[in-house]
Amino acid sequence: MRPKHWLYTVPLRLRSLFRGCRVDLELDEELQYHLEQKTHEYIRKGLGPEEARYAALREFGGVTQAKEKCRDTRRVSWIQDLIQDVRYGARMLRKAPGFTAVAVLTLALGIGANTAIFSLVSGVLLRPLPYRDPARLVTIWEKDDLGHPGNTTFATYTDWKAMSKSFEELALYSSWQPTLTGSSDPEQLSGLRVTNNYFRTLGIRPALGRDFRSEEDTPSSNKVVILGHGLWERRFNSDPNIVGKTISLNTVSYVVAGVLPANFQSLMSMDPRGSAVEIWRVLGYDASQPWACRTCHHLVAIGRLRPGVALAQANAEMGTISAALWKAYPKDYSASGVVLTPLREQLLGPVSTTLYVLLAAVTLVLLVACANLANLLLARATRRDREIAVRTALGAAPGRIVRQLLTENCLLALLGATVGLMPAYWTPKLLAALGTGDLPRLAEVRVDGRVLLFTLVLALLTGVVSGMAPAFRLSNPNLHDSLKEGARGSSGWAGSRMRSLLVVSEVTLSLTLLIGASLLLRTLTQVLNVAPGFDVSHVLTMRTSVLGQKYADNNNLRQFYVQAVERVRALPGVEAAGVVSEIPLGGNMDQYGFHAEGKLNANPELDPSAVRYCVSPGYRSTMGIPLLRGRDLAESDTAEQPQVVLINEAAARQVWPGEDPLGKRVKIGGVDQPWWTVVGVVGDVHQNGLDLAPTMQFYVPHAQWPFPDSDMIFAIRTAGPPEAMAGAGRQTIRSLDPNQPISRVMPLEDYVGLSVQGRRFSLVLLGAFAAIAFLLSVVGIYGVTAYTVTQRTREIGIRMALGAQRRDMVMLVLRQGLLAVLGGVALGIAISAVLTRFLASMLFEVKPLDPATFMLVPVLLVGVAVLACWLPARRAMLVDPVVALHHE
Amino acid sequence: MSKPTDLVQGTLDLLLLKILALEPLNGFGLSQRLKQVSGDVLHVSDGSLYPALHKLEQEGWITAEWKPSENNRRAKFYSLTRLGRKQLESEADNWGRLSSAITRIVRLKEA
Repeated sequence: MRPKHWLYTVPLRLRSLFRGCRVDLELDEELQYHLEQKTHEYIRKGLGPEEARYAALREFGGVTQAKEKCRDTRRVSWIQDLIQDVRYGARMLRKAPGFTAVAVLTLALGIGANTAIFSLVSGVLLRPLPYRDPARLVTIWEKDDLGHPGNTTFATYTDWKAMSKSFEELALYSSWQPTLTGSSDPEQLSGLRVTNNYFRTLGIRPALGRDFRSEEDTPSSNKVVILGHGLWERRFNSDPNIVGKTISLNTVSYVVAGVLPANFQSLMSMDPRGSAVEIWRVLGYDASQPWACRTCHHLVAIGRLRPGVALAQANAEMGTISAALWKAYPKDYSASGVVLTPLREQLLGPVSTTLYVLLAAVTLVLLVACANLANLLLARATRRDREIAVRTALGAAPGRIVRQLLTENCLLALLGATVGLMPAYWTPKLLAALGTGDLPRLAEVRVDGRVLLFTLVLALLTGVVSGMAPAFRLSNPNLHDSLKEGARGSSGWAGSRMRSLLVVSEVTLSLTLLIGASLLLRTLTQVLNVAPGFDVSHVLTMRTSVLGQKYADNNNLRQFYVQAVERVRALPGVEAAGVVSEIPLGGNMDQYGFHAEGKLNANPELDPSAVRYCVSPGYRSTMGIPLLRGRDLAESDTAEQPQVVLINEAAARQVWPGEDPLGKRVKIGGVDQPWWTVVGVVGDVHQNGLDLAPTMQFYVPHAQWPFPDSDMIFAIRTAGPPEAMAGAGRQTIRSLDPNQPISRVMPLEDYVGLSVQGRRFSLVLLGAFAAIAFLLSVVGIYGVTAYTVTQRTREIGIRMALGAQRRDMVMLVLRQGLLAVLGGVALGIAISAVLTRFLASMLFEVKPLDPATFMLVPVLLVGVAVLACWLPARRAMLVDPVVALHHE
Repeated sequence: MSKPTDLVQGTLDLLLLKILALEPLNGFGLSQRLKQVSGDVLHVSDGSLYPALHKLEQEGWITAEWKPSENNRRAKFYSLTRLGRKQLESEADNWGRLSSAITRIVRLKEA
C-alpha cells in the first residue's frame, strides 16, 4: 500500500516544490474558471454582469483563503518557508557585514575548538580498538605484596593456562630491543617477544604472510619475526616478497613470517621517550634457564575471555587459582593474588581523564561564545524592533517570526562551523607538533563523518540556543511603541536584565576555565621545580648498543665501553663523561631484589627491590649526583676486585635506618647471588618522573656486574651547548666500531621535557581554551557596557542637565556592569570549587581548592573586567547634555 | 460551513470520490452535480470544495487533467485513481456501518 501510494504522491510533491509557480498559476486558472461559470449561471438567471460576478464571489467565499488552504494540502510549504527564511536571513547577514564577521568569528572559535577536541576524543576513545571483539580482551597482572599490579612469569602462565576455564586464549609478551643490521646503518628497534598465539588472542591476522606457528614457539626454532607495517615500508621498501626472506637482527638470521596491517595498535604505552613497537618475535621460552623461576617477573599476560564470561567471573576464577598456587609455592607468591584489567582501560584509561576534561573545557568555551553571540543579537534586536513590528502588523504569526530568526542564527552558526572546521582539520598535525605525551592512537584522529556530523549538530544547536532569548523577545514586541515614529528602540528593563545575565554567565564560565588552567599551570611549575637529583644542563646523552660475536665475550664488551668513555672524555669541549644502563627520566628502569645481610625475609619475595644502574666510574660525577658519604666507584673496581655498590639515600634510610650503611653487604636479584659491599651513599635521583618520589636505587660498576649490559647510554658533560657535541660524539663511537647502532642523541634536558610532555599538552590546550573564553568575555562585557551607555545617553543627558556630576554618571554605568561581573565571579568560584575535584588526578603538589589560585584568578579577572567596563563607561562622562537631549 | 446540513466530518471526501467514480468532472461541474444529486440538502461551499479536491489529489486518490470543457474553455478535470477506488470502497463500507449503527440507535423503541 505505502510504496504504491508514493508512486502517486511523490511526483506531485516534487512538482509543487520545483514548479511551484506553475502549480499556483493552474490553481488561479481553475478557480477563475469556476467563478466565470458561476457568473454565467447568475447572468442566465437574469442578473446584470457586475451583480452576477459579485454574487459568484459571495457564494465562493474568500478566494485567497481557499487558495492558501489548497496550497497547504501540498505539504511542502515548510520547505518553501525554510528556503524563504534562508534567503531572507542571508540577505540580512549580507546587509550587516560587521555584525556577521564578528558573529562568525566568535562561533568559529567556539565550534572549531569543539570540533578539534571531539575529533581527538572520537579518534582516541570512541573508535573501537582495532582488535576482534576488543571488549573481551584483558591484561592479567600478578599483584605484589603491596597489591600493585605487576608482571608474571612463564611457570605461572603455564599453570594459569592449564587451570583456568575463563579464557579462549592466554598469551604472553615481553619487550625486546633488537638491532637491525644489513644494507643501511644499524638501527635499534623496539620490539616484543610474544607467544605464538599472541596475534590470535588479539584477533589480528597479518596483512601479508602468516601468523606464528605453535611448533615455532620453542627455544631452538624461534628465529621467526613478524614486521610492523611502518618498519616494512621504511626499511624494506614495502617489498611484497618479504615473506620467507631472512633479516639480520643482533647479527642472527631471522625468517620473516608476515607483515601486520597498517592500523595495528601496539599494546605498549605511547611514552614519547620510547619508540613504537615495530617487530615481533616468537617467544620460544627456554624454561630450563635460571630466569624461568616462579619469581622472575618479566612477562606480561593478556587473555581473551570466552564469550559470555564476565570480567568479575574471570577475576574470581583467577583468584581461586592464584590462592592454590600460593598454597603450593608459599615462597614464590604473595597472598594478594591477581587482577584483570580490561585492555581498553589499560590502553586508554590514563588519557581519558585528560580528554574528558578538555572536552568539558571546550563546551564551556562554546557556551561563552553562545552568550557573546546572544549579546550581539540582543543589541541587534533593538535595531530590528521596527522591522519585526511591521511584519507582525502585516500578519506574521509570532511562531513564524521566531522560526525566521532562528533560521538566520543557524545560518550564522553553520558559517562559523565551516570556518572553524579549517583549523580543526589540522588538529592532528598541530597536536603532533605540540607533543601529546602518552596519548595513543593519534594516527586515528581526523575529521571524519562522525566529526562532521557532530559539528553540524553542534552548529544547529548553537544557532538555536544563542538565538532563543533574542528571538522570543523580538517575537513579542510592543507593536504600538515600536511603530511610533522616532521611537527610541529601548529594550526596556527585561532586555537589560537579560544582558546582565549573559555577562554573569560569561564571567562564570571563563572564571571556571581560568581556575582550571591556573591549577594545571601551578602543577607544571611545581613539577618543574622539583630538583631531579642531578644536574640537567649541559649534558648530551647518546644511546649505543654493541652486539656481535666479538662482544659475546664480557671482557671485550667491557673494554669497548671503557675505551669509548676514554675517547669521548678526551674530546675538546667535553668536561666529563660516563655510561649508564638507564638514564633518569628516560622512561625505563631495571628493578632488582635488594637482599641486605641480616635483614632477609623468610620469603625473599618480600624483600625490598631497588632500581639498578650499571655504570662506568665517572657516571656519578658527570651527572652531578652528590656523593653524601663514603667513596665513589673507581677505575680500580675491576672484575677481579671485591664487588662494590653505591646506594642512594632512600635505600640507606629504608634498609639501614639509624645505622651506618657503609661496609654493609647486600645480595642483588636473588638470595643465591654473591655479596656486594656498600662503599658510598649518593643523593636520590628522580627516575620515573619529577612528580614521583624517588625509590631505592643502587649503582654497580659495569666492570663487575656479572652480565655487563650491552645497551648503554652515554652522559657527556659539555662546556658549550650539548647539541654541538653530537657529531663528535657519534664519530668517536664509530671510530671504535662502525657497526654499532647509535640512537637518541639528545640533551638530557629533553628527557625532562619529554617526561612532562603530557602535562604540558593538557595545560597548553586548557590554557588556550581559557584564554579564548576570557577574551570573548572581555569583548562581551565591553560590548554590553558600551551598549548600555548608548541606550542611556538621553537619561544621562537629562540627569546631567539636572545637575548630576560626570563622575556619578560613570559610576552609574560602571555599577551595573560590575554587579554582573561580581555575580559571575561568585558563581564561578562556587562552580569551580565543585568541578576542580575532577582535575585532582592531573594535579601535583597543588590542591584542587588551591587558595592562591582561587584568590588571584578572580582578582585578575575582576581587574580586566573593570577595565572592560570602564573604557566604554567613560563615554558617559563625555555626554554633552545639549546633544544628548537632541539625540534621536 | 453551510446552513442546511453540516456534513459529518470526513463524509465530504466520500461524496467527492463517489461522484467522481461515476464520471470525471471539473470543479464547477462537481459542485453542480453535488447540489443536483443531493437535492440541495447537502450544501458544500465552493470555498471548501477546492481545498478538499486538492487534498484528495495530494493523497493520490484522484488525478487531474486539463481538458476542454463543454463550452470549449480549458478546465481541470478530476478522475478517480485505482487507489482512490479502493479508498472509496473502504469509506463507503465505513459509512454503511456508521449509518446503520446510528439508524439502529435512533429507532430504538422508547420504553
